[in-house]
Amino acid sequence: MSLNAKRWLEEIRKLPLARRVRIMNVCGGHERAITMAGLRGALPSNIELIPGPGCPVCICPEEDVYEAIQLALHEDITLVAFGDMLRVPVNVPKREVRSLEQAKAAGADIRPIASPIEAVRLAQAQPQRTVVFFAAGFETTTAPVAAMLQESVPGNLLLLLSGRLTWPAVAALLDSGQVAFDALVAPGHVSTVMGPEEWNFVVEKHHIPAAVAGFTPVSLLAAIYSTLRQLLEGKRFLDNCYPEVVRPGGNASARAQLAATMDVVDANWRGVGVIPQSGFALKPRFAAHDARLRFPSYADASRRRAGQMPAGCQCADVVLGKIYPNECRIYGNACTPRHPIGPCMVSDEGACRIWWSAGTRTSKVAHA
Amino acid sequence: MCLGIPMQVKEINGFMARCEAGGVEREVSLFMLAENTVQAGDYVIVHVGYAIQKITAQEARSAWELYDDMLRLDGELADETPMVPIGQLLRDNGGR
Ligand code: SF4
Repeated sequence: MSLNAKRWLEEIRKLPLARRVRIMNVCGGHERAITMAGLRGALPSNIELIPGPGCPVCICPEEDVYEAIQLALHEDITLVAFGDMLRVPVNVPKREVRSLEQAKAAGADIRPIASPIEAVRLAQAQPQRTVVFFAAGFETTTAPVAAMLQESVPGNLLLLLSGRLTWPAVAALLDSGQVAFDALVAPGHVSTVMGPEEWNFVVEKHHIPAAVAGFTPVSLLAAIYSTLRQLLEGKRFLDNCYPEVVRPGGNASARAQLAATMDVVDANWRGVGVIPQSGFALKPRFAAHDARLRFPSYADASRRRAGQMPAGCQCADVVLGKIYPNECRIYGNACTPRHPIGPCMVSDEGACRIWWSAGTRTSKVAHA
Repeated sequence: MCLGIPMQVKEINGFMARCEAGGVEREVSLFMLAENTVQAGDYVIVHVGYAIQKITAQEARSAWELYDDMLRLDGELADETPMVPIGQLLRDNGGR
């Protein structure tokens, strides 16, 4: 990979692409790098780069966020969560508390953290008090949680685990036949932890070119070039355009720690539904640390729009790559980072938030 | 929270390491790299306070440059809660 970004662009422009090619990425970090580097504008116009299911905050089940809010409001606990989760709205009537941030303002003991290490330290510092760690995230975040469990976890630290796996969402998308993409840029750090082999099914089962990419324009362009060459030459293989970091088999210690602490189960994705074998659940030996077992369930399935995206928000379509962020009707007017309607505008990994930050300020959909 | 940040290892104490990026230092766990040998001076990618992989100095540098570019873009374009660059990201979030 000695070519620089400009040379990669030249190589891509030389390719005789006769038709439109849709390339999906499934990582908020990729979408951020693509958007911030302006790759869409630099590439030939018949190459479409589509953001897919790459934002764990966006698909974190609405009922899990609701449960975290209710726990913090009604139980005598400290609730810690990654900062991104605090502003995610749930679907409740107007006068009710609709986010962890609002629950905090209402007096609940809620603290944003940046690392499982902070959750451990906080629990150690107040051994008499129960600390609940609302742990949402993909493999790259859930593996550190597994490491924390494996190393040592204080008795008063409980987990409300909402970990998710990325590849089953792509598998579900491909199996549904609903979203057509011609090539996949596979996530760099998920592959670093879990191993690139997880993505072989895209090539082997669906005959779609795929390449693992890192987070620099050079690595992303190399991956795009690789998938285009595969398409043109009728070859299919999983390329690795981030070989310095992504090694065969991934991070063996991390995978062993995940396997020792968690089971893989069917799991709900907000606005999307249940995806088979796409979630992490604590192993029975960690039952004493499971907040869902310790506390009565505050889940209320009869709530209006429970589990769904907020009314009027098209995050589910954005997450599944069915529409671009600015194809949402309320993008940039009712929904902005300051007044987010949906989680895709809240999270740093949400495609709506990323596009806004890169300067796309209005919806493409005409407003009558 | 899914963003991996390259950091340089400054000092190791058991499974904990003091790491630095963009002039900001953080405590980072090396527990996920149990099978690798990491030494002071090495570079690692850090996710939510845990090193997930060793990387080369060059790989770290190009990632840092990318974040700097984002800072410039954000400074010019974003007038509301802009996304933040590496140093500030670490200052705000403790290295996730
Ligand atoms: S612009 Fe806002 S409401 Fe529309 S899909 Fe994005 S987050 Fe949801």
